[in-house]
Amino acid sequence: MAYSVNVAIEAPIENQIQEIAYDGTEVYQQPLSMSESLSKLAAKIDFGKGQDEKEEKVSEKAEDDAAAKDPAAYQSSLWPWDSVRNKLKNALTEVCVLSDVLAIAKEKRYLVLDPVPQEAPETKAMVTVYARKKALGGAAAVLLTGAERLRTSQSEAARNRTVPDFHMELLQLRKNWRLKKVGNSIIGDVSYRTAGSKYAQSGMFEVTKAEEETTSSWSPPQSPSAGPVPPKSASALKVTLPSELQGVAYIEVHCRKDDEALFSTIVTSSALGSQGPMPDMHWQKKLEAAQNVLFCKELFAQLAKEAVQLPGPIPHMVVGNQIVASILPGIQLIIGLCHSTTTNNKKAVGPPQQKKSDHDHVLEHSIHQLLREVHHKNTHHPFPHPSSGPLGPSKQRCLAGPTAVDRHELMEMSKSKTLLEQIIEQTQHFTMRRRTEYVLDTIAKEVRDPLIISHWNSINSPTKACVKVNIMTHGYDTICRTLLVIHVGKKSLKCICRDGSVMNMSYEIQELRDLLICQIQQHQITAVQALAKCMGWQTLSNSMHLGVGEVQQMGNASSCILASPMGDRLIAVRCEPQVGTHVSVAHSPRKDFFPGQLVKERKWENLGGCFKEVRWDKMEGKNFLNKMELLMASLTSSS
Amino acid sequence: MAQRGLPQSKEALLKSYSARLKDDVKSLLENFEEIVKLAKGESDSQLSRMTQCEQDTYEMHVRSANIVRAGESLMKLVSDIKQYLILNDFPSVNDAITQNSKIFRQKQAEADQKLMVLRDDMAADLYDLEEEYYNSVYKCRIAD
Repeated sequence: MAYSVNVAIEAPIENQIQEIAYDGTEVYQQPLSMSESLSKLAAKIDFGKGQDEKEEKVSEKAEDDAAAKDPAAYQSSLWPWDSVRNKLKNALTEVCVLSDVLAIAKEKRYLVLDPVPQEAPETKAMVTVYARKKALGGAAAVLLTGAERLRTSQSEAARNRTVPDFHMELLQLRKNWRLKKVGNSIIGDVSYRTAGSKYAQSGMFEVTKAEEETTSSWSPPQSPSAGPVPPKSASALKVTLPSELQGVAYIEVHCRKDDEALFSTIVTSSALGSQGPMPDMHWQKKLEAAQNVLFCKELFAQLAKEAVQLPGPIPHMVVGNQIVASILPGIQLIIGLCHSTTTNNKKAVGPPQQKKSDHDHVLEHSIHQLLREVHHKNTHHPFPHPSSGPLGPSKQRCLAGPTAVDRHELMEMSKSKTLLEQIIEQTQHFTMRRRTEYVLDTIAKEVRDPLIISHWNSINSPTKACVKVNIMTHGYDTICRTLLVIHVGKKSLKCICRDGSVMNMSYEIQELRDLLICQIQQHQITAVQALAKCMGWQTLSNSMHLGVGEVQQMGNASSCILASPMGDRLIAVRCEPQVGTHVSVAHSPRKDFFPGQLVKERKWENLGGCFKEVRWDKMEGKNFLNKMELLMASLTSSS
Repeated sequence: MAQRGLPQSKEALLKSYSARLKDDVKSLLENFEEIVKLAKGESDSQLSRMTQCEQDTYEMHVRSANIVRAGESLMKLVSDIKQYLILNDFPSVNDAITQNSKIFRQKQAEADQKLMVLRDDMAADLYDLEEEYYNSVYKCRIAD
């Protein structure tokens, strides 16, 4: 290696001291002449050492060792004569070899140089042909193997027509789910984000080609006694879901009374595990289940968020996977999220539940529906009315100007209820409806005499229902019937009575019960008067709210006095809501008239005597009106 | 395919598919030609006959393996193109969605109609049953 280093060759300034005499005089060495110094330097060259060092350096280079460690080797590369020396050495070697070859060629003592025969050995032509044949055979074998493999795979696909092709399945999958290719894998999405959901959790899944284990599962023949064989889930697709989306999830809604134990036993449902998704379930079912899991999670997250934010007289509680909201005094709504994973095959977490059948399907359904509505609203904005207008305001608000809506109405318009509020309202209504049903049925059972017939309206909304109550007496339904309409709202009841009066009641069912009992008594009095009209009797007096007599616990007693067609008999009826009916009879002219000091004349006997109460329970007749009819009939005199 | 403004990556992918096709077909052809050429055996190389034969054998093997590889690569290409088509064929997906939504709407209408009929029937029956129940003497115990 040649380094272009300028080497200045010159004698040092000071001559070397050769000898110092005793007297101190120094004898200087004579400076070397140019040729002398060159020969001296040349004498320093150690050819053998240089060669060794060079080899060592090459090996060192390979090892990537620091050459600087060996200063001698390092210096040798810097040797200015190195390249010269190498070239000389190479030239020498070659010249030596040439001379050796020449010597051998010339001497012919030990070796003879012969020309290589150029002609091809014809005798070996067949060998090469065979060799070629063999080579071609080998190549053909490779090709055939490859072709065979292709053919096998094709015929395999053709034979297993029942097993769908991967691409066909992928096409089916693509038709139903969102898919995209990321790198080498196919990623799908089960989330409802395109449908308007704003839930953060992603619903990514991965689609892969299923391994070929279907052939092994085909081999055992199905026993004929096994009945209908469930369809084989031999799918060419495999869907991999994240662990948090696996399994089955559902939202469970309960209504609970406060007096029930707060901590009930957690029922582990074995049915849930058995109906859960199998690991080899069809991808469509699997994805649907995953989507449901995601939906339930979103729903629960939304409700939990609202429960925490919603101010209320009694704050709603969110404990674990359970939301407890009090809806009416003593009644609580419990919304729980159940998520079971197939891996451990047990219910992961669930709210304390009383019975499996206790949860409310209707509320669960409507809670799902509410979130779907939210999703729908997120994607379906009403079109802006002037096309340049802002996107968002509803059509109602666009019409607010032309229809001159006032501030209050506008404020009402902008209000929107949260999911939790809506579901609470529905639950309140549900409870109210249950209570109303209960009251109506118990009263119908307790009160036998006027029949109480209630008809529920089949058209109602989730927060409003209507029931028609018909009070009438069996056999006399054409004479008199009392109609009531009860509107069941969210936290109140509204009853429209026969006379058109409207009663507003709170959620306490006792109020409805009292009202009904009063109405029943009033019905009796009204019915008696209607009956009297048919019988030809006259109504002398009638009072729905009688001020006399002992004070009633609730309502007022009502009464009427009837006179016979001849006017010689009087019947007084008094109905008290709590006690029942009293019927009294009087004669006019009175039979036991004795002139006294005050009332002397005989004419006063026509005034009528004192009323005597009829022992009503001894009367003949099926019901009150029947008895009254018989009584009137017996008291009617022909003359 | 309609040449709309495809994204850069899609364009590149399609080009790569095309390139792969050409490459593979070319490889099939070239390797076959080479094998045929080798079979002719007109080589004027310096090597000895046997060495040449051995070399030819190996070369033929390698080239036939190359042919097989190219064939399989073509199969893979077909599969890739199928996958690409399935995943990116938005018109057919839209058709599927439209069809699905049509089916579901139809189902919904049917279900609604059936439910309405059922509701009406039930309401009528309920009215009669309520009438009958409340008129009868027998009334069941009401569970709260």
